[in-house]
Amino acid sequence: MYGLEMENLTVDYGKFRLEATMKVRRGCITGLIGKNGSGKSTLIRAIMRQEDGATGKILYDGKPFAGNETEILGKIACVFDSPHFSTYLKPKRIARLFGTIYKNFDMDMYEKLMRKFDLPSDMRLNKFSYGMQKKYCIILALCQRPEILILDEPTSGVDPYDRGNVVELIQEFMMDESHTVLFSTHITEDLDKIADYIVMLRDGKVALDDEKDSICDTYRLVQCPSLTAEMEKGAVGVRKTMFGYTFLTKDRDISGEGVQVKAPTIEELFIHLSGNDGHGDPFSEF
Amino acid sequence: MHINISYVSGQPIYEQIERQIRAQVLSGELRAGETLPSIRTLAKELKIGIVTAKRAYDDLCAEGFLYSAQGKGVFVAEKRPDDLQNYKLGKLREQLAAAAEFARANGVTPPEVEQILKEILGE
Repeated sequence: MYGLEMENLTVDYGKFRLEATMKVRRGCITGLIGKNGSGKSTLIRAIMRQEDGATGKILYDGKPFAGNETEILGKIACVFDSPHFSTYLKPKRIARLFGTIYKNFDMDMYEKLMRKFDLPSDMRLNKFSYGMQKKYCIILALCQRPEILILDEPTSGVDPYDRGNVVELIQEFMMDESHTVLFSTHITEDLDKIADYIVMLRDGKVALDDEKDSICDTYRLVQCPSLTAEMEKGAVGVRKTMFGYTFLTKDRDISGEGVQVKAPTIEELFIHLSGNDGHGDPFSEF
Repeated sequence: MHINISYVSGQPIYEQIERQIRAQVLSGELRAGETLPSIRTLAKELKIGIVTAKRAYDDLCAEGFLYSAQGKGVFVAEKRPDDLQNYKLGKLREQLAAAAEFARANGVTPPEVEQILKEILGE
């Protein structure tokens, strides 16, 4: 059974238009990638009903949001790209507020995580660093005991030590098979490790939506001193440097003198599928 | 059970897990009937995807190294000597085939290959 399903979810700003049909599988971690301005945050806000002009359908386990919003949104916790509550308050106060708003809010877990991330309880949130605010928002989201966790750039601005802690918390959350995670990030290293599915947005459209392992099995990253016509046929996102060429391909039979072939990382996939390189539309392949 | 994951080896993560569990079953380090961690625990502890962990277990179950009991977990299968022998010989054949391919591509003759193999085996 699918977790979240978006059917023609559309947000139209005039100059920018998001139009997405995609799935976030239940029991899995889905990573959302795309360049700045590709629509990641807009998509997340639209799912959370923060985009008034949004049209199209969103389903959770086959049930449409429309008409069931209170019930379904109550099962989702979201970390937006910036705190969605007053940062003039101190954590103590915010936690009490959340405790009254969310019936499942877990105070014990809250205290435990505040200690784990070493965050002060009696300092105004606007005095927190960017990374500390991020961590605080993640704690608040987890303590709502949601079924679905949606995170917009949860690890950006967070130091490597606590990034490891954030990743661990997400995996701990996933120990329950009925839980689902969608998270957008530019730190593709985190996705390389724990993501199950990758969705890539490009200019407001879904450009890639597949199992991570199968993407990494299908594509090969090739580095070669010169580009033959045969190689060029299947090449996507060709990049030229002083010393040769790098590109993605589905062709498994590429070999030759000085040619290196390997499975791509999500970062390499992202770079080669994002740019305009004069080799036609990189997505004509999909 | 112990498993190391390398992100620089270029080998798919599920293959790294499969290779290490197979070796530990063959060596007897993992005994028949022993319970393995759940898919989600494996994913969490190794910091890998759930789908990746599931694939490794599924492949090993299909090969007969492990078996899963609905709702109970994943276990090490009874050793079947014939299967193990076939498995070892199959793996050896694969590696020799790769070496033979290399020899062909680089103009090394069959007698030369035979000579090298004899030297390695210490004959």
